[in-house]
Amino acid sequence: MTDGDYDYLIKLLALGDSGVGKTTFLYRYTDNKFNPKFITTVGIDFREKRVVYTASNPNATTTGKTFKVHLQLWDTAGQERFRSLTTAFFRDAMGFLLMFDLTSQQSFLNVRNWMSQLQANAYCENPDIVLIGNKADLADQREVQEKQAKELADKYGIPYFETSAATGAEVDKAVITLLDLVMKRMEQCVDKPPADPANGNGATKLTAEQPNEKKCAC
Amino acid sequence: MDLTFLQTLERERVLEVLRRDKQLRTIEEDRIRRMKHDLQELRRRGAKSFSRQYGERTCARCQRPLGKLWNSGAVCHGCSHRICSKCRVGVGTADWKCTVCHAYRDVKFRSGEWFLEERAKKFPCTTDKYEVVGDKLLKTYNVLSHISVVPPTPPPYLLSDYAFLSRPGDLKNSKPFTKSMEDLMVSFTSHIKKISTSQNDVRGDLLSVDNRKGSCSTYSTQKSLSDTDINKSSRLFKGPSLPNLFKKSKDSDQEGSSTGAEEETSCGSEYSGGKRGSTCSSISTDCGLFEGVGVAGELELALSYNSDFSCLEITVGSCRNLSHGDSKKKCHPYIKLCMLPGKSSKMKTTVKKNMTNPVYNEVFKFPIERHLLRGKRLQASVWHSGTLRRKVFLGEALFPLDGWRFEDKNSQSFNWYPLCPKAQSSDGGAVEQDGGEAMLRVKFTSAEQGDLMQLSSFKSRQEKDTRRQII
Repeated sequence: MTDGDYDYLIKLLALGDSGVGKTTFLYRYTDNKFNPKFITTVGIDFREKRVVYTASNPNATTTGKTFKVHLQLWDTAGQERFRSLTTAFFRDAMGFLLMFDLTSQQSFLNVRNWMSQLQANAYCENPDIVLIGNKADLADQREVQEKQAKELADKYGIPYFETSAATGAEVDKAVITLLDLVMKRMEQCVDKPPADPANGNGATKLTAEQPNEKKCAC
Repeated sequence: MDLTFLQTLERERVLEVLRRDKQLRTIEEDRIRRMKHDLQELRRRGAKSFSRQYGERTCARCQRPLGKLWNSGAVCHGCSHRICSKCRVGVGTADWKCTVCHAYRDVKFRSGEWFLEERAKKFPCTTDKYEVVGDKLLKTYNVLSHISVVPPTPPPYLLSDYAFLSRPGDLKNSKPFTKSMEDLMVSFTSHIKKISTSQNDVRGDLLSVDNRKGSCSTYSTQKSLSDTDINKSSRLFKGPSLPNLFKKSKDSDQEGSSTGAEEETSCGSEYSGGKRGSTCSSISTDCGLFEGVGVAGELELALSYNSDFSCLEITVGSCRNLSHGDSKKKCHPYIKLCMLPGKSSKMKTTVKKNMTNPVYNEVFKFPIERHLLRGKRLQASVWHSGTLRRKVFLGEALFPLDGWRFEDKNSQSFNWYPLCPKAQSSDGGAVEQDGGEAMLRVKFTSAEQGDLMQLSSFKSRQEKDTRRQII
């Protein structure tokens, strides 16, 4: 399926604690299958999917046109020992699927840490992110309430989805929403380039975070 | 960034992923190159022709004269040219762009250039804004595997055994050897890089060109590269990564407008990508020739892999319907084979005189380990050998060797491949490197007064581009 017959190559990346279901989420999205076994990801991996995207931005010249988008979905290891490797890949991704496990309070608490990791390592200070609470099908084991998660997402100004890789609920929607954000970002970046580079677009995002060191060390 | 904290097996897993990523990026590079080429075409078609002086009274794109009262044109926000109403694309009456600016914007989206620019804002310290983490890692660690295949003095049987075992499917068997080699090498990465560069150069020269019956183990060293040669080629072939391709094709975009000019190039404030107000063009006596003729015709070629001698066998069959090399309807075509990316010496067929349907039936053997074919492409370009060693590019075909099914009988036999135009000059030896000097003359004509301000910066840019063109 990998030929050059597409209009855009969009690179997205899934991150979050170990065991929240990043790999199964992506497997569900690309192959529409579910693998309940837990196989820990070694470092990094990626999956691909070709989708058709219809431009919806009302101001854009591209409104109503459809494009073939080749998605490269990077899967990262949640385990701490791979951290230096996985975070290095943050800078090559255009959008992020930040995932936690609805049945694990700890994984939800760690979302903040992941956010600051993103802020430090992603291509810009306020990249496009969607927050995903996975394993929504396990209602009886639920530890994180929707309201709680929604509040956090609002604080960061990012969309929130409760998905289930097991049933497939909301999986497509979460990815497509992120794709949409990235495509809009693209237009913004190209059409108003000089104005306020770092924080200009979507200034509401990440304002809740303490200002991180802006530039890298050198 | 290194992978030393991983266990050997894990590292192999990660490298395997990175190789897959590399494949994807190779496809992406090709796509971007095609895109850039189309843009260049569009730009050239619309560019002010050099025979005419830049005039305010013509549309900068279609060159139709503009009226004084009606259809007097308006200035495009992107390129500051006066554009007639037909050459505008965009929303509303106020927010429009000329066709070329619009296409440029489109390419910026589709190629992911917007992303790289954004990233460069945040990480300004990285030298190469196009660099990808995966690629960096892959380069570092591929060096190790190169070395383990071509160790300084290995017993011959070990070498061939290892090469056989280290094919991706058989990784497990080769573990002990790789591991020890890698552990040994890890601390010397930087030194090894140098060694391997020079080794590759020498290796590249060990190509044997012989008939089907000849065995490819009889290497003949044709020439040894001097230091400067090595430098030269390593600069030219530097990095197969998308980044460099991109950067270079960007430069060649600018050169694109210069082709067709004979000795002198006049350049008004011709469009060049929005931010730069003026552009430059340069012409040298030798370069740029490949754009001179249209590309047509097909190339017949067969590829197979000989695992007994571990070499790639390329059989050049024939060509048909080639375009003529020069205005006198003459065509003396020959075919040049190059392995991309990398620093391999090129192989050429004989020159066939006066024919557009030449038959070669020449076999070339390229000694290379099977697993090293990953990520490689074979470039077969057709050239017209003109008078005074002038060479004219007639077309090329690229063969990705990654997914090539050598076992497939069908792909081993002759197939016809259409010739394509060259996207840019710097992708691994596309420009004939016959040395010599390039004569060039730069002339700058300012169309608007403001442009004079940019003259100084423009000059240095010009020099840079020129240098790149010459090497």
